Amino acid sequence: MTTDLFTEYERGDFFDEVFDARGGVRSHYRPLLERLRALAPGELRHRAGLRDTILRNLGITFAVYGEAQGIERTWPLDLIPRIIPADEWHQVERGLVQRVRALNCFLEDLYLGERAALREGVIPAWLVQSSGGFCREAFGIPVPKGARCLVAGIDVVRDAHGTYRVLEDNLRTPSGVSYVLENRATLTRVLPLAFAHRVRPVNHYGASLLSALRNLAPPSASDPPRIVVLTPGIHNSAYFEHAFLARQMGIELVEGRDLVVDDHVVFMRTTRGLSRVDVIYRRVGDEFLDPAVFRSDSVLGVPGLLSAARAGNVSLANAIGNGVADDKAVYAYVPGLVRFYLGEEPILPNVDTYLLWDRDQRAAALSRLHELVVKPVDASGGYGIVIGPKATEEELAGVRKAIEAKPRSYIAQEVVALSRHPTLIDDAPRGTGRIEGRHIDLRPFVLTGEKIEVIPGGLTRVALRKDSLVVNSSQGGGSKDTWVLAAGENGASR
Amino acid sequence: MRFEIDYTSEFKYPEPVWESQNLLRACPVTDAHQTLLQYELKTVPAARVHSYVDYWGTRVDAFGARAPHDRLSIHARSAVETRPGGPMAAAPAWKRLSDPAFVEAHLEFLAVSRHTAWNEALRAEAERRAAPAGADIVGAVLSLHRMVGSSLAYVPGSTSVGVDVNDVLRGRKGVCQDFAHLLIAMCRSLSIPARYVSGYLFSENSDSEREPEAESVRVKTHAWVELAIPGAGWWGLDPTNRQEVGPRHIKIGHGRDYDDVQPLRGVYLGAGDHKLDVCVSIRRGAAASQQ
Amino acid sequence: MMLARHAEDLFWTGRYIERAEDTARLLDVTYHGLLESPLLDAASAWRELLEQLYLDQAFSAKGLPVTDSAVTEFLVLDPDNAGSIVRSLARARDNARNVRERISTELWEEINTLFLELHARDLRTDLEREPYQLYRFVKSRCQTISGVSAETMSRDDGWRFLLLGRMLERAEMTCRLLSVRFRRSSRAAVTSDVHYWIAVLKSVSAFEAYLRAHRAQIEPQDVLEFLLLSREFPRSVLFALRASESELVRLGAGTGPTRPERLLGRLRADLEFMDIHEIVENGLLAALDSLQQGVLAVAESVERHFFRAAVRPELHVCESV
Repeated sequence: MTTDLFTEYERGDFFDEVFDARGGVRSHYRPLLERLRALAPGELRHRAGLRDTILRNLGITFAVYGEAQGIERTWPLDLIPRIIPADEWHQVERGLVQRVRALNCFLEDLYLGERAALREGVIPAWLVQSSGGFCREAFGIPVPKGARCLVAGIDVVRDAHGTYRVLEDNLRTPSGVSYVLENRATLTRVLPLAFAHRVRPVNHYGASLLSALRNLAPPSASDPPRIVVLTPGIHNSAYFEHAFLARQMGIELVEGRDLVVDDHVVFMRTTRGLSRVDVIYRRVGDEFLDPAVFRSDSVLGVPGLLSAARAGNVSLANAIGNGVADDKAVYAYVPGLVRFYLGEEPILPNVDTYLLWDRDQRAAALSRLHELVVKPVDASGGYGIVIGPKATEEELAGVRKAIEAKPRSYIAQEVVALSRHPTLIDDAPRGTGRIEGRHIDLRPFVLTGEKIEVIPGGLTRVALRKDSLVVNSSQGGGSKDTWVLAAGENGASR
Repeated sequence: MRFEIDYTSEFKYPEPVWESQNLLRACPVTDAHQTLLQYELKTVPAARVHSYVDYWGTRVDAFGARAPHDRLSIHARSAVETRPGGPMAAAPAWKRLSDPAFVEAHLEFLAVSRHTAWNEALRAEAERRAAPAGADIVGAVLSLHRMVGSSLAYVPGSTSVGVDVNDVLRGRKGVCQDFAHLLIAMCRSLSIPARYVSGYLFSENSDSEREPEAESVRVKTHAWVELAIPGAGWWGLDPTNRQEVGPRHIKIGHGRDYDDVQPLRGVYLGAGDHKLDVCVSIRRGAAASQQ
Repeated sequence: MMLARHAEDLFWTGRYIERAEDTARLLDVTYHGLLESPLLDAASAWRELLEQLYLDQAFSAKGLPVTDSAVTEFLVLDPDNAGSIVRSLARARDNARNVRERISTELWEEINTLFLELHARDLRTDLEREPYQLYRFVKSRCQTISGVSAETMSRDDGWRFLLLGRMLERAEMTCRLLSVRFRRSSRAAVTSDVHYWIAVLKSVSAFEAYLRAHRAQIEPQDVLEFLLLSREFPRSVLFALRASESELVRLGAGTGPTRPERLLGRLRADLEFMDIHEIVENGLLAALDSLQQGVLAVAESVERHFFRAAVRPELHVCESV
């Protein structure tokens, strides 16, 4: 008589990815659950140990801000994958491609075109001009084929009705795709039995990214174009990913000091002298890229890099100035940008957002602060967010004051009851091996190459703390392998 | 009036430096009040110059010097013709400043910027000085302009780039950048859009009002202010020499403050510090073109 | 062709590993040499060792007495001594970490693990109680690193710089060792004392190899010849120079001889055609010194030719009014 792993599982009042409203298993999860239930007691915990060993040996770690230097945590990967059926994914994918296409158009029009969206009032000019990410230096810098968001991480959540909504656009240096690939590689080793479904592969990401970068080469580039990954260095929290992607693509990983600009052309310093560079996949923020133009104290950048880009001798991915479009205030206008630039209705809706610089919306929001989520427009990594229902009186008072002082710096949103997914809690060898529901989100990765392409699935992030809605790894979140089923699959087993 | 301008910057380094990258903003603009006739740039060591027009409409020359050098000379020669603007005839009422269309069109010049971040004391002082003019914007601006010109002593070398504008008001001295930043801060604190202008002034001294008798003068680059007057466009005032901007002012470009229109900004790799000499000589040109 | 910075990091990884290993070996030989011959002047032996490692002045600056424990601690675990084993291995690890993408995982793990294990030990107690075990530990792990790198790295430019660093460090160390030895020894010792020569051989782990080659005949000139000119023994100066040269040739392939290659070629040729008898008669010390200077010049030339681009100076900003 086997104890069922899920007998004590509480679905709660949320949309659960695995269990429907009546407690039945959704059809696309049935084969997985069958296999999990067939495991011997304690087996999952044993597999969890195996997973830890693999991750440690592979060196898949990440650094958390504020922790002592040199201490890296092993990447947290939950054993139970998240599954998305083909037809659902198809819809999400179409919505993402549409959204990124519109964002590319907006940015190209803003920095090189007529700024039509501003002129027609689709988005207020003052909002764009006062955005921290609006980069006046980006004006006049050409971007081949307008591929400004070469890599976009569009965070998506599911609300209480199971509707997919975009929560946030990350268009500058979105990270996490290396974990998507490592999660898959690890899970296939640790739980091969679970792969009863035909899951769409993700390991072509390196090839797709390289192809997109090639597509970005300037007219003066050689054939094939010389491409490098520019990293801030080993002390950066995402360094593992920079090195990983460079390896996957078979290209050089460089730091700012390895590059030099001569006569507005970028070169790499090699043992055989200077070697020309055509495309740079840069994981260094705008502000640090060129001390001749931006922060002069930056040692991460390359003096003269911007003039080389301006002269059309090198392409930068992602383009300078994307920060204006991932400003959380501009986020609210993105559906309007989709309509304006593409003439289409947005396939993926936003989360309902209140713009606090509008007097009426602000008044309404301030009267319901304890029910809403307040976000600073230019923060990242989940920092600075105040979740009304969970905040103390003090925190609420503090954020109220901040909003009244600088309303332009905040938006408010309805609390989205993020969907939940069964997650293996306490998977230590002597742990209980309990499975409980935890809130999740999804960060798919969208590439703008010759075509706009989405890697199947993406990074599912899990808020590991009970009842928490904060999923970011830098604040203690975890992750799951994300499976998009091949078309024609829906419960069929191998 | 026609002028020929010779702008020279010379870097000297005690030890050779290398991989220098520079951005030069020394070229006079063409606008309603002046026309650029000619511009030529030479550098030693010779460099390939990439020129472009930036967001604010100012011409930028970008160039570098990779090989080790102990000297970098920059020599820009230009010829320009200036046309005097008419006197400020408009007298719009104060409330025109809060017209939403006006505010939105001048947003970037109303906001606080790095060099013009005013505190409450500065704003209160501006309010006090502007009060006698009542609802007359132009009158208020003139009061502030005169106040800055008379309260501050022009003392070259007394401040450095990046000095806080509130300290300038307290310290009561500065160079033309500081005069300009202070006037800008005071105007913006009262919601009057103001922008920083970089350029050249054909004058014996930066703080002198009189027209020189000589055919040519040696000066440094100069800074002044332009204010947006509802219904009347941009109005140029020079608080350092307490006069309206006229035909002897040759504009290079404008921005929110000094950062947007720095005459020369560069970086280089090397051991030591540098010595920079900037010299501008302006010569009266041939008679103005026939109209 | 590789990033100049990576090449430099690999070159120095090689040098620091070699340095740590050689330091451990010298400590081992000196310490046990003193145990075996209690009549030898210990302070003098330690001073000689410090001089061989260029650390005599650094040590006297500390104002400590020249005793077993003071010197061994200084050379093994002193964090302020840039030449201590602990520091050499820390720097090897830092350099290796910077090029982690270029070296195999196994190599990185060997270097990293050695560093971490050394840190986990109570080195002071180890030195007091069982120094032999500690020196052997360091030597053998450095040799493992050598083996792992040889077995797991592709023979690309990265490998060449790693090997080049090790071999140049080795060549220089052996010359230095011999030259300090001879400078400090009396003429009598140099010519007649067998134990003296055995100690010299042991200081580069050459004793057994020498015996096999020369059938227990310990002649001063043969020993010198062996240590300078053996083509088979991996720690001889000529062996190290030839190994360095072949890597340099490969590094310069396609571009014609580089300056470091020409310097090294000349140096190696001068050594190869050296007449040992003549040298011993006319000026052993001068010859050794000149050889050592030659190796230093080659190392410097390697830096300038391949890494000069990787120099990291200050970035200055100027804003003008």
